[in-house]
Amino acid sequence: MTIPLHLYLPIAGNSVNVAAIFGLGGAVGLLSGIFGVGGGFLMTPLLIMMGIPPTVAAASDSNQIVGASTSGTLAHFRLGNVDFKMGILLLVGGVIGGTLGVQVIKVLRALGNADFLINITYVLMLGFVGGYMFLESLQALRKNKTTAASSQESKPRKPSCYARFIQGLPWQMEFQRSGIRLSVLMPLVLGGLVGVLAAIMGVGGGFIMVPVMVYLLRMPMHVVVGTSLFQILFTCINVTIMQSIENHTVDFVLALILLIGSSLGAQIGAKIGKRLHGDQLKILLATLVLVVMVKMLWGLLAHPDVLLAYTGGH
Amino acid sequence: MRVLTALSLALLLLSAALSAAAGEISLKTTPGSVQIGALYDGETLHVEGTAPAGSEVVLRFQGAAKDQHMKQKGRALGLLWMNLGSLSFEAVPGVYLVTASKPLADLGPAARPFTLEGMRETFKVEPVEADTPENRAEFVKLKAAEGLYRETPEGVILGVDQGAERTFQADIRLPSRLAPGVYALEAVALKDGQVAAQGQARVEARLIGAPSLLADMAFGHAALYGVLATVIAILAGLGIGLVFQSKGAH
Repeated sequence: MTIPLHLYLPIAGNSVNVAAIFGLGGAVGLLSGIFGVGGGFLMTPLLIMMGIPPTVAAASDSNQIVGASTSGTLAHFRLGNVDFKMGILLLVGGVIGGTLGVQVIKVLRALGNADFLINITYVLMLGFVGGYMFLESLQALRKNKTTAASSQESKPRKPSCYARFIQGLPWQMEFQRSGIRLSVLMPLVLGGLVGVLAAIMGVGGGFIMVPVMVYLLRMPMHVVVGTSLFQILFTCINVTIMQSIENHTVDFVLALILLIGSSLGAQIGAKIGKRLHGDQLKILLATLVLVVMVKMLWGLLAHPDVLLAYTGGH
Repeated sequence: MRVLTALSLALLLLSAALSAAAGEISLKTTPGSVQIGALYDGETLHVEGTAPAGSEVVLRFQGAAKDQHMKQKGRALGLLWMNLGSLSFEAVPGVYLVTASKPLADLGPAARPFTLEGMRETFKVEPVEADTPENRAEFVKLKAAEGLYRETPEGVILGVDQGAERTFQADIRLPSRLAPGVYALEAVALKDGQVAAQGQARVEARLIGAPSLLADMAFGHAALYGVLATVIAILAGLGIGLVFQSKGAH
């Protein structure tokens, strides 16, 4: 008569509360649908807190992001928010950068202070990205209130050195969906840089990729979200298959419960995102990134309960 | 001649001690083995047995030993807590549950090897410079926080003495985080500060049903498992997306 609340996860080697995992998937999927981030930087630590081994948490999270980003990409595609051309170029850059990043992390580990550098990079990156986005969006929101002019109209005010630089690059290409003209080199190089950082930090890189698309590629926020999800889909397919083969750490049952929750959340998120103004979206994402940064910083400063940690995970 | 007499006496005493130590405790567990199916969420292992009259009983459930590779947290730059050195705890039990008819501390030195404090002196830590009492204590603390290591006082209920024997029983709650493998349930009867009798039962935990199928596939056909996990995730994502589309169309 009663619905079973617990399920045993054979790869994680633990039983979990199905409702809690489903709810966690739904909440992170909602954020993923709104902001176009994979949510790995939130999901993996929460799964570890629920008793899932770190390596299994990270790998199974990638598996569930495959489902959530499929659902999110579909929702954004229907809304006309996926720039496939840009997504594929970023992806190619990301794969090359990711491969390079794996080698960098091997060298860092051999030098012996990899964890220190990873943690510092993480906090600085989150702080910089979150802080910049927050301040920029706040200014834009204030401007909107006073002048009633759209943020897009106010942008051409500064034909900066950066704008002249990117216009001067060779192999210019039209990205119709994003409404921009750029050199092919831009998404390839920036995708590569994000790939390097993501590999070093052990995350999907959505929360770095989104600001890169907004500020460096100057894509409209709504197209950024859909395109980011499209790109994350492929990154996570690669991670899921590699982790299954090399480490046997993908718990499919865990991923399936998470992804049913997160796919539903992503659909709702995409609809909420559509109702929000680009600057509102940016300021909310910036707040989220800053909260994660503060949480990480607290983790680095506060005395841990246990002075040992399992290897692996984010 | 004196030496020979002394040796004979020593041998006699030793054989007497061994025969006393060889006293057997009969043990029965219900269930006899643990089946880890899809709905497994821990299980209570009921233990019954007989021990020498007047003895106290200690029960220990342990097994699935493996090496545990970990990171040691320390302060970098005197300020930030981070994973610094790597260390390995070798052949540590995956699960270690101990209980007795009295608090273990009240049972004297003979009970000490069974306590969590005694157990943490038994395994090997690598590298040698990381083998500190603090690291051993932290390891046991971490496992206890995960519910895998536990010391329960007075979990064994003793019956009244009947001739040379007395019955005992206990309910041991096995953790939900139980890995498949072979576990040993050991019973030790302590009398006058000495081990009066011992017994052991083998308890096997094995995966059945869906968890067994999935684990076989994940470890035996890893590439196929990875591809299937990906394809099903994509189909689930598409399915949910299409459901929302049809809802939107109405």
